[in-house]
Amino acid sequence: MEKKAFSKSIIKLEDIQKTCDTIIQKLRHDVHTVLNRKGGIVGISGGIDSSVSLALTVKAFGAENVIGIMLPEKDSSPDSKAFAQKLADKFGVKTIVEDITGALEGFKCYQRRDEAMTRVFPEYNPVDYKSKISIKQNVLMQNIPSVFSLTIIDKKGEVKSKVLPIKEYLQIVAASNFKQRCRMSMLYYHAEANHYAVIGTPNKHEVEQGFFVKYGDGGADVMPIGDLYKNQVYQIAEYLGVPKEIINRTPTTDTYTMEQTQEEFFYQLPYELMDLLWFGWENGYEPAEVAKALDLTSEQVAHVNKTFERKKKTTEYLRMAPMREYR
Amino acid sequence: MEDKIKDYVKRTAAVSANFSINNDTLLFEEGLFDSMGFMSLINFLQEELKIQPNDDELVVENFESINAIVAYVNKKQAA
Repeated sequence: MEKKAFSKSIIKLEDIQKTCDTIIQKLRHDVHTVLNRKGGIVGISGGIDSSVSLALTVKAFGAENVIGIMLPEKDSSPDSKAFAQKLADKFGVKTIVEDITGALEGFKCYQRRDEAMTRVFPEYNPVDYKSKISIKQNVLMQNIPSVFSLTIIDKKGEVKSKVLPIKEYLQIVAASNFKQRCRMSMLYYHAEANHYAVIGTPNKHEVEQGFFVKYGDGGADVMPIGDLYKNQVYQIAEYLGVPKEIINRTPTTDTYTMEQTQEEFFYQLPYELMDLLWFGWENGYEPAEVAKALDLTSEQVAHVNKTFERKKKTTEYLRMAPMREYR
Repeated sequence: MEDKIKDYVKRTAAVSANFSINNDTLLFEEGLFDSMGFMSLINFLQEELKIQPNDDELVVENFESINAIVAYVNKKQAA
């Protein structure tokens, strides 16, 4: 079959209803027949991905066979819970709130993270400062691997930022990952207690670029939106009637105390552009053709393609099942 | 200083045994350093050579090859 000419609308879903029906039927088959479970547990954060995942799960199993679990902790934005409740009300789903702060304190999640942050900024303490980690490099301008910086802000609004030494970076990430792993444990508690499946919420970029925590938000039985571009997730959100306030929110990680977008923490590109660039890269379009359609230079597209290659390669281990063929 | 940098890059770059790195080899273009490798290189510069890169210095021109790193370190030490 001849390859379609690259354009800005190349990934737009032409028949949203058909796409939804396909996902819903497959989800029903996988959960009922393959996994032999009777419903779904969805962790809902008030973000677009978990909202669409919940909406699809309700369409597949009926609201009475779905439970939305809210999993706040002391660093979560209060907005997350409010948006998640609004979503659950819209789809008529029962919700359970499980505050995981105590579990995280038991793991010393905050203490381990703050120890590393204090080694970078001795004046830092979690009472007087908010913090986040981010990438400052521009992926369109250069082919260079990501380096993370720690940014802190005090109560007067004074911002300080420093490149993170590797030891502190690894400790902060490892400590923060307790959050996703605690959530996964709690979702499996409710799934097992109800004989349901855990419905994972990562989208295509999160899965393929490795923007998830292994055995954290990557720990699920099925991932109904795991093959959808972010723009397609938004199209389905509109179609299924996800509340507008959720659709209009900027996607954040809701992991650090300072507001942090997914773009600054990981992707380094707005999702509208990233979707198209990823599609072009994974389908082997020439950088010149992609560049022309997106008003970029071929060099910029080539830089991004190298970043994609690097991310896919270096995050491969996140997607791997445990290796067990040793004889 | 140049020898220390050269030695570090050759020791830690992700290369096969028959790949030879010279002072002009493009470390990122050739895929010799990923994000962890690059962060480790910065750590080496901080600990061994007492260089503190700023966010705006993390550009390809300063780190793309052994020659570029040496020039960057010289500039930082002179400042």
